[in-house]
Amino acid sequence: MSKKIGDVILDLQNISLRFGGVKALTDISFNVKEHEIRAIIGPNGAGKSSMLNVINGVYHPQEGKIFWHGKERKKMEPHMASRQNIARTFQNIALFKGMTVLDNIMTGRITKMKSNFIEHALWFGRARNEELEHRKKVEEVIDFLEIQHIRKTPVGRLPYGLQKRVELARALAAEPSMLLLDEPMAGMNVEEKQDMCRFILDVNDQYGTTIVLIEHDMGVVMDISDRVVVLDYGKKIGDGVPDEVKNNEDVIKAYLGAGH
Amino acid sequence: MLYREAGQFKTNYAADQQVFPIRQDRIGIIVLLAVAFLGVPMFASAYWFSAILIPFLIFALAALGLNILTGYAGQLSLGSAAFMAVGAYAAYNFQLRIEGIPIIVSFICGGLTAAGVGILFGLPSLRIKGFYLAVATLAAQFFIVWCLTKFPWLSNNSSSGVISTQQLIIFGHELTTPVEKYLLVLSIVVVMAMAAKNLVRSSTGRAWMAVRDMDVAASVIGIKLMPTKLLAFAISSFYCGVAGALYAFCYLGSVEPDGFSLDMSFRILFMIIIGGVGSIMGSFLGAAFILLLPIFLDVALPFFAELFGLPFSSATVSHIQILVFGALIMFFLIVEPHGLARLWQIAKEKLRLWPFPH
Amino acid sequence: MNFFFEVLIGGLLSGVMYALVALGFVMIYKASGVFNFAQGAMVYMAALSVVGCIEKGAPLWLAIILAFGIMTLFGIATEKFVLRKLVNQPPIALFMATIGLAFFIEGLAPMIFGSDPRALELGIVDEPIESVLENFNMVISKFDLVAAGVAAVLVTVLALFFQYTRVGRALRAVADDHQAALSIGIPLQHIWAIVWGVAGFVALVAGMMWGARNGVQFALTFTALKALPVLILGGFTSVPGAIVGGLIIGASEKLAEIYIPPVMQDLFGGNFGGIEGWFPYVLALLFLLVRPEGLFGEKHIDRV
Repeated sequence: MSKKIGDVILDLQNISLRFGGVKALTDISFNVKEHEIRAIIGPNGAGKSSMLNVINGVYHPQEGKIFWHGKERKKMEPHMASRQNIARTFQNIALFKGMTVLDNIMTGRITKMKSNFIEHALWFGRARNEELEHRKKVEEVIDFLEIQHIRKTPVGRLPYGLQKRVELARALAAEPSMLLLDEPMAGMNVEEKQDMCRFILDVNDQYGTTIVLIEHDMGVVMDISDRVVVLDYGKKIGDGVPDEVKNNEDVIKAYLGAGH
Repeated sequence: MLYREAGQFKTNYAADQQVFPIRQDRIGIIVLLAVAFLGVPMFASAYWFSAILIPFLIFALAALGLNILTGYAGQLSLGSAAFMAVGAYAAYNFQLRIEGIPIIVSFICGGLTAAGVGILFGLPSLRIKGFYLAVATLAAQFFIVWCLTKFPWLSNNSSSGVISTQQLIIFGHELTTPVEKYLLVLSIVVVMAMAAKNLVRSSTGRAWMAVRDMDVAASVIGIKLMPTKLLAFAISSFYCGVAGALYAFCYLGSVEPDGFSLDMSFRILFMIIIGGVGSIMGSFLGAAFILLLPIFLDVALPFFAELFGLPFSSATVSHIQILVFGALIMFFLIVEPHGLARLWQIAKEKLRLWPFPH
Repeated sequence: MNFFFEVLIGGLLSGVMYALVALGFVMIYKASGVFNFAQGAMVYMAALSVVGCIEKGAPLWLAIILAFGIMTLFGIATEKFVLRKLVNQPPIALFMATIGLAFFIEGLAPMIFGSDPRALELGIVDEPIESVLENFNMVISKFDLVAAGVAAVLVTVLALFFQYTRVGRALRAVADDHQAALSIGIPLQHIWAIVWGVAGFVALVAGMMWGARNGVQFALTFTALKALPVLILGGFTSVPGAIVGGLIIGASEKLAEIYIPPVMQDLFGGNFGGIEGWFPYVLALLFLLVRPEGLFGEKHIDRV
């Protein structure tokens, strides 16, 4: 791969997160560099999804600091993440079930629309032009992910694999600089996984999008990611390029169990 | 003419994003409007205007308002009638207290007042959801009706809050006949229904539906929950408010706060359940159904009673009405949760294939 | 000060009556996640069944047993023909279905048993307790005190039932997690049928107490509207919450009715009585803004 990995854009320092008495994350530090594909792996319940939720402001860690492009980030609400160009997908698909594929993807561009509800009600001037202009962008994403044929289908009726793809489309429609993917390939067959890998690499390649991804399939992770961070019981036990991580004692133990 | 979209190719996004992308639908709507504006006034009787058509349009508007809030934004409200009351009393007071204010302006002001009150009672939606919120909207229902009864200023010191509405004067012409009132109501409803249709197909509507379907995901995408929900409350209440003003000015002429009861709120809710939750057209279908059903039962029940020799008192008829309402609600929720609007859609899809079903 | 305590105690006792109705809601909500708006209609139906059977010549005890049978059957039928068919629907659809159910009952019950308001004699008189009247100069109704006692017994019985019987344990398991309960072999549908039966029983007790106090009439359905703020305050899933919520609502509403209107009259002129209709709701609402999970509810964390 000939891509150029840039500077650190997201730096998490000593993050701890608790729910009541339950410790979800303990003293975790790692960073993400521009344009890289960064994987977070670990056994179930290791705190991977919580980590993503911390990054985009759904959860607020009790301790630790987050630096975004070198500036310390204050406590933020979820909707602010998208204004910082962070988009994400969810472990259990979080599409809007009652809406069509097209409408779902259009919501990805909602923060980029400037017209207000009165203009919408009158369907006039700016509102109309914006709809067309953003529709064009959305169609690009639809072409990119090869889902033209299901454009007007309500997402509730789609099979699982396609729903995952639509969710990715919605995230991409926001033209994010950083994309958080929570198990984008869970429950897919080999072919669907290959497609998804291709899309992820293409996004990274063509748009230079930084990608943080949670995935269980080790083959995939080792193949496509530039660096990997390993969590277990809410603690960081490994961090580095795939080959380093693969040979890390603690990581092997966590995955195979201490007895082996 | 066959109902078919084959051969109607869209070559740009503007054409694809029309309100009615299928040509036959466009023609259908134009015909419907022509009938409503020209045909009906020529043929319908005064009884039809004042007992069926005017209340139908007014309740369709109120149901539309509730549908925006419940069907699109996913916030269940049990207080729609109270917001109608706000609209009615506010419009009355604007007419009363501001010299020479045009009637349409006071309707709009009535709607805006209702919108303001709606925002106030929508505030709890920021912290609570679902049943808790539904129960909270009952607070609006009881509190508003009580206020209108107890604060004499609001009803210009009339006893128990009864108001008699002012004359309907538009451009110096007083509307007195049922036909004129019907045309006024119809024009307002058509304009507002179009606006609602535009809203729900724009990013405003998409934000509402996103919040309805999954609010956490919506906020991660960048939708601010607070303004989105409050806007839904405001616009919904605006629609209910205008409907309330029309109810007072164009339908009854004289209203009391207790008329805007919890029962009325439930009826409006039933309209959207039976008509179709999350459908503009469903609001109209549901309103028609809920208004026509009692009239139908009033005629049909004594007929059947006589047929089978059963002694039916008028009390029994009203009990059967309530029973049938309840049964229908359960029936629709079980069999067709998307209501009449969905049935209509299925019929259209069948029609699209007809006469070659495969 | 005596007058204050008299109002307070009267309020607390009527709060117990609200709690009686609220209990029915909590029962069904806990076990099946259905917010049963028809509970008030069920109270009405239960009371109507009792007076209906008495009118047909049955003695009181038999009428109560018959009414219990009717309520149980009706509850089971509701579960079987309505709620079971709505299993995978969103909770709000179930809620709306119970509004439909309420209308259905409000039409059906008076068709069968007649709609004229009637008295229900349980042999408890609604008059002040003399000793309290003499010694403390307070009017405390005997009837209200008996009602409070009945409520206390009912709550105890329900608590024991939940805690110590096999069915009770199964009920708690179902309330905790439907899927898990199913997977260990708890017959979900039986459990729900039992829950609706028990809710019918609670409605019967509430219906008899309310009916004896205010007469058996359509207004009994409004008891549901009294119970809703109680539920918001106490949390939908908590039996103690229903009791405490009922007491708070009952007491504060009666006190507010006495002390707020005169203040408003001074401010605005006119008559401001009748705030009982909305005061509990506004109180519950304000409370929710501070503590969205209610008095005894658990804090909910959104998982994504």
